[in-house]
Amino acid sequence: MRRHLGVGMMALLLAGTTACSGGSGNKENAGAAGGGPETSVDQVELRIMWWGDQKRADRTNEALRKFEEKHPHIKVIGEFAPSSGYFDKLNTQLASGTAPDVFFLGGNVIDYSEKGVLLDLQPYVDKELKLADMDKAMVEYGTLDGKLVHISAGANARGMAINTELFKKAGVPVPADGWTWEEYSRISQEISKKLGKGYYGTYNFTVEGMDIYLKQRGKQLYDMGQGKLSFEEQDAVDWFNYWNDMYKKGGIVTPDLQVSNPPGDTSKSLLVTGKVAMSLIPSNQFTAHQNLIQDTLTMVQVPRGPKGTGVVFESSQGLSGYAKTEHPKEVATLMNYWVNDPDAARILGSDRGVPVTSKMRELLMLDASAQEQIVYDYTNRVSEATLKEPFAVSYNPPNFTEFSKLAETAVQEIGFGQKSVEQGVADFYNGALQIFGSTP
Amino acid sequence: MKMAHRSAFRHGGGTAYLFLLPWLIGFFGLTLGPMLGSLYLSLTKYNLLNAPRWLGLANYRQIFTADDYFYRSLAVTFKYVLFSVPLKMIFALLVALALNKGIRLLGIYRTVYYIPSLLGGSVAIAIVWRQIFAGDGLVNHFLGLFGIEGPAWISHPSYILSTIVTLSVWQFGSAMVIFLAGIKQIPADLYEASQVDGANKLRQFFKITLPMLSPVIFFNLVMGIINSFQVFTPGYVIGDGRGGPVNSTLFYTLYLYLKGFSFFDMGYAAALAWIMLIIIGGFTSIVFVTSKFWVFYGDGREGK
Repeated sequence: MRRHLGVGMMALLLAGTTACSGGSGNKENAGAAGGGPETSVDQVELRIMWWGDQKRADRTNEALRKFEEKHPHIKVIGEFAPSSGYFDKLNTQLASGTAPDVFFLGGNVIDYSEKGVLLDLQPYVDKELKLADMDKAMVEYGTLDGKLVHISAGANARGMAINTELFKKAGVPVPADGWTWEEYSRISQEISKKLGKGYYGTYNFTVEGMDIYLKQRGKQLYDMGQGKLSFEEQDAVDWFNYWNDMYKKGGIVTPDLQVSNPPGDTSKSLLVTGKVAMSLIPSNQFTAHQNLIQDTLTMVQVPRGPKGTGVVFESSQGLSGYAKTEHPKEVATLMNYWVNDPDAARILGSDRGVPVTSKMRELLMLDASAQEQIVYDYTNRVSEATLKEPFAVSYNPPNFTEFSKLAETAVQEIGFGQKSVEQGVADFYNGALQIFGSTP
Repeated sequence: MKMAHRSAFRHGGGTAYLFLLPWLIGFFGLTLGPMLGSLYLSLTKYNLLNAPRWLGLANYRQIFTADDYFYRSLAVTFKYVLFSVPLKMIFALLVALALNKGIRLLGIYRTVYYIPSLLGGSVAIAIVWRQIFAGDGLVNHFLGLFGIEGPAWISHPSYILSTIVTLSVWQFGSAMVIFLAGIKQIPADLYEASQVDGANKLRQFFKITLPMLSPVIFFNLVMGIINSFQVFTPGYVIGDGRGGPVNSTLFYTLYLYLKGFSFFDMGYAAALAWIMLIIIGGFTSIVFVTSKFWVFYGDGREGK
């Protein structure tokens, strides 16, 4: 009797555990199962994931609710993470096969396309997904290895955000497009000097500006076609030296402040707190910065080198589908809504960049705020400049995360005085050769 | 008679195993299985998204011969263990001694001091720590009262590790509770006898308290070493999450995590994990082997 009881309880326990694991295992497919034959309405559930702050999340969620209104059979669940942890999260989900149906990628789209985890959208073009109004260059940008795997959600161009108030206080005229790196360095020092302790001309952009600088010299970080590093050690030495001189002369933010208040984090950026006069930002981040500070900001092109500014008006980020999604058609429908629907454009605004279809662009320009006008004006100037001095659009090289950590470490080692510029750059260059030499 | 006895034995064993089954399933399915899986992965090139490719020992070879980060992360981790484990234990012991002086409301103090141990590993506390030690944080405001201009503790490579060690020492509670229980076990007559012989407090501490506490110290040391080697959260949250500034928060586990989940090299990360296992195992066994020289059980097993 006791034995029977024991076995019975065991069986019960086991049933419990299997039921539980079964339940959690099927969680992602719950929506899919809902679309099965047992329900009469063809209900579909999609998951979408993006990075960004709360403001972006609010806008995005609003746009998704509007989408559900228009497509009652599709339910969309949004997830988001701050940009710092976003890709780790995405990678983990991809590895375990639980990635969202749609997710945002940036210049690193190539990392994912290479590994074959992105949905080929070609079969849905001109059906669910209409690209007639989209800029040709943007469609090409999303086409990798002959497959359409990425739909740009906005275009931007990097530029120098400038706090005009600090310039006024320092008595320095705001620079105009076409200025040079020498002027940039001189102005930074002047501002630091005139405003006194705690104020700086600019952040240190050795890492963020490196690809721009190389392009200005007719080189680039990485040659996608040949699959190798595409600059000399001397280029890096010159660049690192340029910044190190500027730091020694007191024009830029100290290394420890750059760590605690990184320029990429709008909630901590010293540009927003009015302590730094110039910061290199992507144009779509301009309003996010301006919203957080009273002083008037404006945008100027980056200082130019021998071949021009090296900045291109290009995709800032975009949507990709998960290759294993069970609802590719609905994924395409959602993307179509994103780039072609006037309601989506109005809700989303230019937070992720200027819209990539001409119609939506015109629509947004009609009722652009003064701040947005600055952004449109700026991106137009960049577009015009690249007509005269063209540069190729660039993706992030493969293993870019590892590369940027390496570059950042080198800058900090030099900044904190642990290595000389020569030593730091030599180690950086060797490390870069190693990173880009390794094949995935 | 004999038969009945045997069947009862078998019967009892079967039921025991049946009841153990959930744990056994967990052990084989969730612990041993994944461990063997990671052993296999450590011998492959695995980018998380495509099928692993067999490499043999290449990952291990690269780790030992060509990986600067491996040695740096080991150095950071060792430094952390070396400082945090002894400091935390000394602090815990001192507080336990103080609490043993027969203060009122002991229960409340014990609970209050234990709370950090429960919270300490969490992300929220790491963020609070960030605020306290930031350039314009609480600590520097306090130092400012005395006219001292403190550095930016959490963004300077020379100081950030010490703030993380402080965070670990602050979680002295669980070690302290165990020490306190150990102290209460020491028979009072030992102290009385020594007092009669004229031993002062200091001598009592070194000749009675410490030897009698040695099994507890042993336990706390082993747990401390195992836990500190696996430190991750403070490095990830208080640092910049990428081991910066200048790799000063690049703990071994953080490096492993970056390799696996950010740099798409899970095979390499698995190899790193196995090396960590061997290192922790090595240190733990050193403590165990030496324990017979310094751990005093008071039950006749010592003193060989």
